[in-house]
Amino acid sequence: MIESIMLVDDEDLFHLVFEDACSLLDITLSLEAVSSSDEAAKMFKNWFDNGPIEERPECVFVDLNIIGSSFDGIELVRRINFEYGDNVVIGIISSSNEVSEQSKAVQAGAQFWIVKSDEIEPRLESFLEDYESYKNKTAPFKVYK
Amino acid sequence: MEKIQLRKETIEALLELRKAKRVSLEGNILKIIDPGDHKEFAAYIKQAIADDKSKQKRRLDITKKIQNQNKQLLNAQDENERITEELRVALEETDNAKCEALNELDVLQKRTQFQLVQTIVKVALGLVIGVGVLTTILYVVSMFTNKDTQLIGTAWSNMFGILLTNAFSIIGTIMGVKYASNSKSDSES
Repeated sequence: MIESIMLVDDEDLFHLVFEDACSLLDITLSLEAVSSSDEAAKMFKNWFDNGPIEERPECVFVDLNIIGSSFDGIELVRRINFEYGDNVVIGIISSSNEVSEQSKAVQAGAQFWIVKSDEIEPRLESFLEDYESYKNKTAPFKVYK
Repeated sequence: MEKIQLRKETIEALLELRKAKRVSLEGNILKIIDPGDHKEFAAYIKQAIADDKSKQKRRLDITKKIQNQNKQLLNAQDENERITEELRVALEETDNAKCEALNELDVLQKRTQFQLVQTIVKVALGLVIGVGVLTTILYVVSMFTNKDTQLIGTAWSNMFGILLTNAFSIIGTIMGVKYASNSKSDSES
């Protein structure tokens, strides 16, 4: 089970879907959902600058296009990895399955890409199986579709 | 994650509460409670987790359904906006076509009017020149054949004056028509 998860997604309904799916699959006990990349970046910057570092989530799922934010999910992944101390399992969760975007995500340091659909649970289950290798940074980038 | 153990009194109170009011613990807290050796409480926790999962499953299905309906609504809204935009463009094109047709009709009417005026002018000028030439020929013939030119000379002089007056009148009319046509088209545009 993952200690704590953060979901960054502009769609409130998906927050509920993700929360219920995580709970049903016993993925985590602690889930925080935020609606904008600015808000998430602010939180990570604060943890990086002032701590406590333990409050940071263990794993972060970021939507690709976050409406109402000043930058997209890939930029958030890049900032968390290269500006705010890294040390989290981070990836993209998006309805898009574009290879060009996935390449950009890899360059930004994303470890996985989960394609959103009605059947999100099987993908989350597969992700959970691979989670330890993501944590150890031994797993290659993988797309769950 | 380390699990927590509840005191015996708390466990008894929780079991009693479920029997009396059918109220049980819910949520993620169930996953971190260790029932220990208490078999009844272990069954309680197991049942509560199963009930919780059943509720979550139902809620997840409903949320997914709402999410899909929401997506369909958004797609329908996009489609409506696209159709509205298409209609707006079509309406604009129709307006432009109407304006063009009206302009062409106006040009056609003006051309017809101009052609009519041109014909009238040609005929009138032909008459004027014809009468002038005829009278002049008569006057010249009279002069060279030693006929009395008193009458024809006066007639030629009068006729020429009248013809010149008429010619200027025709030119004035043409200029007037042209000016009126230009003023009309300027006020329309």
